[in-house]
Amino acid sequence: MPVTVRLPGALRDAAGGQTKLEASGRTLAEIFADIERRHPGFRGRVVDESGRLRSYVNVYIGEDDARSRGGTDAPVPDGSEVMVIPAMAGGAGGDGVRHGLGR
Amino acid sequence: MGSATGSVAESFALTRELRERIVAHARESAPNEACGLVAGKGGVATRAIRCANVHEAPTTRYRIDPREQLRVFRDMDDRGEELVAIYHSHPASQPYPSPTDRAESHYPDAVYVLVSLRTEEPEVRAFRVHDDLVREIPLS
Repeated sequence: MPVTVRLPGALRDAAGGQTKLEASGRTLAEIFADIERRHPGFRGRVVDESGRLRSYVNVYIGEDDARSRGGTDAPVPDGSEVMVIPAMAGGAGGDGVRHGLGR
Repeated sequence: MGSATGSVAESFALTRELRERIVAHARESAPNEACGLVAGKGGVATRAIRCANVHEAPTTRYRIDPREQLRVFRDMDDRGEELVAIYHSHPASQPYPSPTDRAESHYPDAVYVLVSLRTEEPEVRAFRVHDDLVREIPLS
């Protein structure tokens, strides 16, 4: 049974402009791999070279923060909703170094 | 319907009531930066939603708790709304996206509303921010 993945913000252009799509997999890594097959380049926008979630990407599986469930190893139950939420942050100060979404 | 999705607005209509709500939030939060979202329908702003600034250096930075984002996004879904704008304040500097604002912007479809309290009369301006590019949008 597929899960629903929602992509508010800048990540939708990595998934063909869709903000909501279905994907299959038992873990977050498998879900991302399934989306990557249809939308090459997606995975690199959400995980870094070592396979960890990028710092400015937050993922909720239902109510659970994926980081508290093993990151990309987090189990994704059938039928759940996966929300991939880019951070909302900024401010007048700081170094302005881009900690971006992998572009 | 749908025509507004992903389109680039040439101007941004922010009602006086919404503008006053955002400015009031900025004033109440000073000297910290205030932050929040503007929800709407068909690209038209209808509701300002205050969020907590959870950044550890809140006088010059802001961050919205992702769990609050999750809650607000779901609430907007339930109401049939979409995200129209993201606002924050610069308590002591110009209402223009800083290098940090540009580096940490991940919502190219949203309007970024900035409020500056550096002058007695607060300044409110709106921008599109994407890939380090900043384009001001006239407020109407």
